[in-house]
Amino acid sequence: MVSGRDDFIIAIRSAFLKKSTKQKFSLLTLAFISIFVISLSVLDFKIIRYTKVGINEIVYRSSFIVSIPENFIKNAFFQISDYTTFFNDYQKKKIELAELKSNYVSNEIIEYENIELKELINDYASSSNKLLAKIIVDHDSPFLKSIIINKGSKDNIKIGTNIYDRSYLVGRVIEVNYKTSRVLLLSDLNSNVPVTIAPQNIQAIVTGTGNEYGQIKYIKSGLAEDLMQDSIVYTSGTGAIFKSGIPIGKIQSFDQSVTNEYNVEFYSDFSQLKYVFAEIRNKTEITKTEKSDEDKSDQVKNPVNAKLEILENELKIIEETNQKFQEENENLKSKVYELNLKFTDMNDQILSQKRIIDQSNVDIDELKFLKLNLDHGHKCRKSFFNSRGFEVGSDEYKNCVLSKGGLDG
Amino acid sequence: MASLRTKSSFLKFYSWLPILILFISVLNEFDFNYLNIKYFSFNFPFILIFFFTLKDFKNFDYFLVFIAGLFNDTVVGLPLGISSLSYILICIAAAYIRNITIRPNPVKDWFYFLFIISLINSFNYSILTLFFSLELNLMNYLVNTFFTFLFYIMFVTIFKYYMKVLDD
Repeated sequence: MVSGRDDFIIAIRSAFLKKSTKQKFSLLTLAFISIFVISLSVLDFKIIRYTKVGINEIVYRSSFIVSIPENFIKNAFFQISDYTTFFNDYQKKKIELAELKSNYVSNEIIEYENIELKELINDYASSSNKLLAKIIVDHDSPFLKSIIINKGSKDNIKIGTNIYDRSYLVGRVIEVNYKTSRVLLLSDLNSNVPVTIAPQNIQAIVTGTGNEYGQIKYIKSGLAEDLMQDSIVYTSGTGAIFKSGIPIGKIQSFDQSVTNEYNVEFYSDFSQLKYVFAEIRNKTEITKTEKSDEDKSDQVKNPVNAKLEILENELKIIEETNQKFQEENENLKSKVYELNLKFTDMNDQILSQKRIIDQSNVDIDELKFLKLNLDHGHKCRKSFFNSRGFEVGSDEYKNCVLSKGGLDG
Repeated sequence: MASLRTKSSFLKFYSWLPILILFISVLNEFDFNYLNIKYFSFNFPFILIFFFTLKDFKNFDYFLVFIAGLFNDTVVGLPLGISSLSYILICIAAAYIRNITIRPNPVKDWFYFLFIISLINSFNYSILTLFFSLELNLMNYLVNTFFTFLFYIMFVTIFKYYMKVLDD
């Protein structure tokens, strides 16, 4: 028993401490150095960071050179598999292109509208500069999904810079060296992206699964029922890590009855990436160009002053409008007075005309009476021979004349 | 005379081949991941390090193995030192089994290798999740361990052939 333990100790000691003639360090020393390096990684000292950046630069370049033969084989493999599905892909792409063309126009309109609205609310305009970057290392490790691009702090790449494949989001920068950067892909388990799901307008978070698809997580209970196959998933911009409105993918493998897991099929195929775009963002305040005065431009930058100025302008416009209304009102009043005068004149004229007409009517009746009097006056006049007649000038006489000598009246 | 010098330099290069392959594999991640077979991956450096340490290969410098580990961490994006420690632990385990073995048995070595890589992968997983708060898929580690174990025999055959050529 004792000898067995001794053997064990001897074997252990030999394994740890014994150096062959060729070995520079014992295994125990190297194990301690490894632990020391890990500890330094945890503590994240500045000097270690710079050393790491230096190592990264060398290793990434070396890895790129060493990977050339494998990449050649890999590309050849993909090209061959591409040729086999070439025609079907072509047909599919043709339809997609037609749809995209129509969407492109409406997108442009929305973009312009967005800029105009931002100018209206005096917000910042985000001018972005997309930088083409080549992927120098892409090993598609099963543990960590990341790529290395050939742009670094020299090209204004920062931690958190959004990385695109065409207009689709691919990931964000998590490590920046002088001429290279590491991009954490959306498919990585450590990737979490706040998203909006359209057209339902549901807010959620997409996390990587370590595979070529993502998963919807942290969705409010009850809203998940509204999700549909092919619903579009794009960044919501919450948390300001990712810009809002960048397409990510669409909801796929939708089988609500089996599970409550919702997978997101990414638009971009991360295993096929060769070049990506890094977005260098510059936030600039929008100022009104007409104002040359320095104080005024300062006021515009201050949001409270800007709001006051808008209100003042509004008040000014309302006052001007009021004045115009008052003037118009005065004009209308004078016009009404003039018209009233005209109306009175006209009334007078009508009355005089009426009087003339009445007079003329009287004259006509008189003339008629005289005519009838000539013909039938003798029948109605009281005389010696006509005792039934009436006194000339009386109403009965007049009536008798008008009734053409009818003595009964 | 010239041919003798050429032969000598070729022999030198040939004897350093395991270390060279180790560096190529860590820089290139020689694991056929691009085949996109779900969960498929294996750890070639583990096989290579275990075998050549077990055989106490003269040109297999542990310090270079340590450097290769640092390179691997840089390429994969793991915190520096994790792979170095894993590789050195494999070396320790292989050196230990070499010292206690009187009559080498390939099958025993194979299963011992399985035990060692399982232990080291568990150790890696624990450090990365506990100290570095990284989210990792345990299934990937299990499958990686399994395939590394499976491929061990195949690569050992190739390595044995290599050593036989070197001895000749």
